Amino acid sequence: MYKSSNPYRPVETEVIDVITETPAIKTFRLQPSEPFHFDAGQFIEFTVPGIGEAPFTPSSNPAEKDRIEITVMKVGRVTGFIHQLKKGDRVGLRGPFGTKYPIDTFKGKQVLIVGGGCGFAPLRSLIYEFFNRLSEFEKVVFRGGCKTPSDFLYRKEIESWKNKGDIDVRLTVDNGDDNWKENVGVVTTILDNSMNIDCPSAIAVVCGPPIMMKFSTKRLLELGFRESNLYLSMEKNMSCGIGKCGHCRVGTFYACKDGPVFSYDKLKNFHTIWE
Amino acid sequence: MKAYFISYENLSNLFSVISNAYQLFVPVKINEKRYITPYQPGTGYTIGEVRTVEPLKAFFFPGRTIVALNYEDSLPDVKKKPYCIAGVKACDLYGCDILDRVFRSEDYTDPFYKQAREETLIISSDCTMAIDTCYCTVFGRNPYPESGYDLNLSPLAKGYLCETGSEKGKNIIEKNSSFFEESDDALLIERSKQREKVKASVEELVNRNTIPDSSEFNGIIERNYNAGIWQDEAKKCVECGACNTICPTCHCFLLYDQKKEETTARFRTWDSCLLKNFARVAGGSNPRASRWMRLRNRFEKKFDYFPAVFNEYACTGCGRCISACPAKIDIRTVLKRLVEHV
Ligand code: SF4
Ligand code: SF4
Ligand code: FES
Repeated sequence: MYKSSNPYRPVETEVIDVITETPAIKTFRLQPSEPFHFDAGQFIEFTVPGIGEAPFTPSSNPAEKDRIEITVMKVGRVTGFIHQLKKGDRVGLRGPFGTKYPIDTFKGKQVLIVGGGCGFAPLRSLIYEFFNRLSEFEKVVFRGGCKTPSDFLYRKEIESWKNKGDIDVRLTVDNGDDNWKENVGVVTTILDNSMNIDCPSAIAVVCGPPIMMKFSTKRLLELGFRESNLYLSMEKNMSCGIGKCGHCRVGTFYACKDGPVFSYDKLKNFHTIWE
Repeated sequence: MKAYFISYENLSNLFSVISNAYQLFVPVKINEKRYITPYQPGTGYTIGEVRTVEPLKAFFFPGRTIVALNYEDSLPDVKKKPYCIAGVKACDLYGCDILDRVFRSEDYTDPFYKQAREETLIISSDCTMAIDTCYCTVFGRNPYPESGYDLNLSPLAKGYLCETGSEKGKNIIEKNSSFFEESDDALLIERSKQREKVKASVEELVNRNTIPDSSEFNGIIERNYNAGIWQDEAKKCVECGACNTICPTCHCFLLYDQKKEETTARFRTWDSCLLKNFARVAGGSNPRASRWMRLRNRFEKKFDYFPAVFNEYACTGCGRCISACPAKIDIRTVLKRLVEHV
């Protein structure tokens, strides 16, 4: 919930580290000057002073109380300026906004997490949250896909999840290279029996580019997942974060306050959810 | 709600008193159109007649305003005195009612809107005529205010019948009781005759322009979601955004930042869903890439989203978007086509 009496005011924040993930993607480690807590699934608005704001779902562990990380792909004007930021720079944060993944309701269940491309960033924060309390779930399965091996975010970290053995991880790329030992094909090609999941009772969380979410949803429904157990993150043009500016409407909802996490049954009757 | 009588002359006297505590705005007629104008003692104003060119929303949700300075928590406010707006018409009060649902919703309140709304004094008035673009009665509403005002004025032959609608309005009358007289049944009868007459003239326009009743609007967007009507109507749209900015119920805005020396200011300006990049996401994909999709979105918001979420159509029937559109896209025609197309 919002602390500030002025919802448009950013909280002053220091950039404490910058990590280059891929040529187009950087992770920024941030330290807000005021208490700032988010839950996995919620998003923040990131201000570059004098330049503008852009929405991001944090990629860090929600249990970390005074730090927050966002992973930013350079795609436009504001993200271009964000990529120029250095350690010690002052920026702004607003939020957090929107709904979190209802993890408490996943207790005792099998959970499948499907990530595509840039969707890895918000999912990392969710996976940290699972690691914080892994014993509460029957099983956690991760399936991730990217265009090429070099597009993978947090590659080393994902390998370490594999080694921990607590999460069943499989990856795929659309186009492999000589070093790629895993599956080649779109992400739906690894949504198969290897998951060893009881689909009608399991939870699925899908995050990635719209086209990937569309086909993953279709595939998971075919496998027997329930619509109400299938959670999607809606990437819309969020700005105000509080249901006023009108930019993020999806059907009868605003993605910023009613989402960005929705179960598929809430969205399925709306037009243009995949665009 | 108690009614009083106030003469033409005493209304001007009341306005002078009100001007001490408020920045008073009145409708002023220029070339057959009425504009909301700062009150000048001794110059004319038009309390009755019909809606102004500008919507009332500009006072609560200005076209461009600063909403944050640096990281400061205080709310920037440069206004010295609160506003008093006189001569506000029923359709604009209804527009505020719609905006209240957005900006004063229980989950998140917009502090700027809320403050301006609470401190503003609204002196509304009955319409005493209709213009061709009026169609408020389509929505079952009347061309005279029934709620949402502090004081309402009904222009009559010898002066105004003045009704209180809030404690704030009542206080104004108590403090300025010398300007007011008791009203009587004859005045009330005069008023209801006039109200009937004006309502009948709006209904006549609605009939003449063959605009369907709002009882037929249920499901028109969904039913016509992929109809050719949208492409057809949007052909001439030049994406000026006037239909949005002039509309008393359109609330969408854009936040942008500007830096001057060491100060960063965050501005909020009216935005328009007819503009190309309104819904575009950072990666470049645009769910409403074509103009006709954006025109459809405008109707979807007003005639599908609002009734689904708030049980009200977000259109007041003021007709401003009809007068403002350089492409002559007429909301009445679009509604008619949507209703008639099966
Ligand atoms: S849509 Fe047009 S007629 Fe309806 S309230 Fe807005 S400006 Fe007035
Ligand atoms: S006023 Fe007319 S031309 Fe301008 S954006 Fe609206 S529909 Fe298009
Ligand atoms: S971001 Fe402004 S309404 Fe959702």
